[in-house]
Amino acid sequence: MTTTVCGRCKSSGAVTDHQGRQDGAVVWTILRCPTCNFSWRDSEPARAIDPAARSVDFAVDADDLQRYPKILQQ
Amino acid sequence: MNDLPNRARSISSLRDFLELLEDSGQAITWSDPVMPEPGVRNIAVAASRDANGAPAIVFDNITGYPGKRLAVGVHGSWDNIALLLGRPKGTTIRELFFEIAGRWGDQEAQISFVPEAQAPVHECRLEQDINLYDVLPVYRINEYDGGFYIGKASVASRDPLDPDNFGKQNVGIYRLQIQGPDSFTLMTIPSHDMGRQIMAAEREGVPLKIAVMLGNHPGLAVFAATPIGYEESEYSYASAMMGAPIRLTKSGNGIDILADSEIVIEAELQLGERELEGPFGEFPGSYSGVRKAPIFKVTAVSHRRDPIFENIYIGRGWTEHDTLIGLHTSAPIYAQLRQSFPEVTAVNALYQHGLTGIISVKNRMAGFAKTVALRALSTPHGVMYLKNLIMVDADVDPFDLNQVMWALSTRTRADDIIVLPNMPAVPIDPSAVIPGKGHRLIIDATSYLPPDPVGEAHLVTPPTGDEIDALSKRIREMQLGALS
Ligand SMILES: [Zn+2]
Repeated sequence: MTTTVCGRCKSSGAVTDHQGRQDGAVVWTILRCPTCNFSWRDSEPARAIDPAARSVDFAVDADDLQRYPKILQQ
Repeated sequence: MNDLPNRARSISSLRDFLELLEDSGQAITWSDPVMPEPGVRNIAVAASRDANGAPAIVFDNITGYPGKRLAVGVHGSWDNIALLLGRPKGTTIRELFFEIAGRWGDQEAQISFVPEAQAPVHECRLEQDINLYDVLPVYRINEYDGGFYIGKASVASRDPLDPDNFGKQNVGIYRLQIQGPDSFTLMTIPSHDMGRQIMAAEREGVPLKIAVMLGNHPGLAVFAATPIGYEESEYSYASAMMGAPIRLTKSGNGIDILADSEIVIEAELQLGERELEGPFGEFPGSYSGVRKAPIFKVTAVSHRRDPIFENIYIGRGWTEHDTLIGLHTSAPIYAQLRQSFPEVTAVNALYQHGLTGIISVKNRMAGFAKTVALRALSTPHGVMYLKNLIMVDADVDPFDLNQVMWALSTRTRADDIIVLPNMPAVPIDPSAVIPGKGHRLIIDATSYLPPDPVGEAHLVTPPTGDEIDALSKRIREMQLGALS
């Protein structure tokens, strides 16, 4: 089942980047969250992609993206 | 099997090497259906448990990627590295170390150029509507990675401020995270060549074009992964170290690339832009953080017919990353130390890219090994990476951890350690209080010399040397023969 809610930052509005097919039928979809850039395949185990099952250690706070450092500053 | 050295020198591509591995029982094809997650990861991790003998695995039936091929573990065992160096399976790590160390300065580079129209890498070409997901059977390498990573990319670029200089071309291994169909972020640090080039291009407002080579001549990843002098071409260096020719051609965006690679992705830096990247399960066995990294836009893709996407499992060791870069991390430290101290007899920096290193040395005087350790910290790799150093005598093989533990048990006093606080440190060391700064530890496990009053103990001297090595191999062969 394809959900467009990001498992990492819980933002909605994920975009579809690719669909895998087998004998003509779609077997999975790769989605990407435009807010936190998390990419996932909807066939992955829940603990990687379901916000309810994912470890909170790997959550991204969509309201505080400023906290993430920028590399290679002049 | 006497033609192994010739066979190794005749390798010009990943395909050639996979054929050699297969002929030697060191590559298998996984044709059962497998889900990208967690199937590919599970199989790659299970294979890397056998650091000595793991085969490369070629997947040709990944669900949702019909007709596509993925190779992992190409450099995933010492036996595979041995075959690449023209040595038989079962060659010891110590022998492989001296094989590489002995090649320094030995051979001339043999570089030839192939016209683009004849280069296998350009057999198929995409210049519009590019979707990397159509080309690459990607999968999440570790379960909390921030996306789909290309973990074994050799990235070629010209110096943006001196684009006509062959010697200043850079080839390095960087991790790439796919960011939508035709973009990817590249992770680097200011001290790496690519970091320097990105900062220079952004400072001067000049374009930076790169070519990402995937599925390459297996010598390139081994010999181009460790920084060498900035003015030396990695292609020339890899060719000299392999003692074999390397064929180059031009990418569509004008960069010298390997003519026989499986896939090349041409891309351009988006000046000044940064996108969220990470986490990624890195070589210390822990995840990097989330950062904003430079982003590249894909301008074209070339690939061979039915290309093989080569990737790596990297994470908590032991993994392919360790066998891929371990010996070539150790050998330059050895060569650089011996310029000052010919008493150094071997360097083992296999562990986590040298976060722990073991150096064997003939003690010239009491305490001499500590002096050698301090010199090691000032070698190019030592400056950032050599965090824990264990110094052992020349009668201890630093590649045999049982012997190293013997030295620690019998030749170390608790005050034979030095802690150097607040030194430079590689930013992804998870033990750092502050990333990028940390303490160094030197353990002197060498024996006692005058004026030390203890002196060397009366040692038992079991037989060692070539004869014993040969007997040990023969016993192993007899044991294997008893099974068949
Ligand atoms: Zn998100």
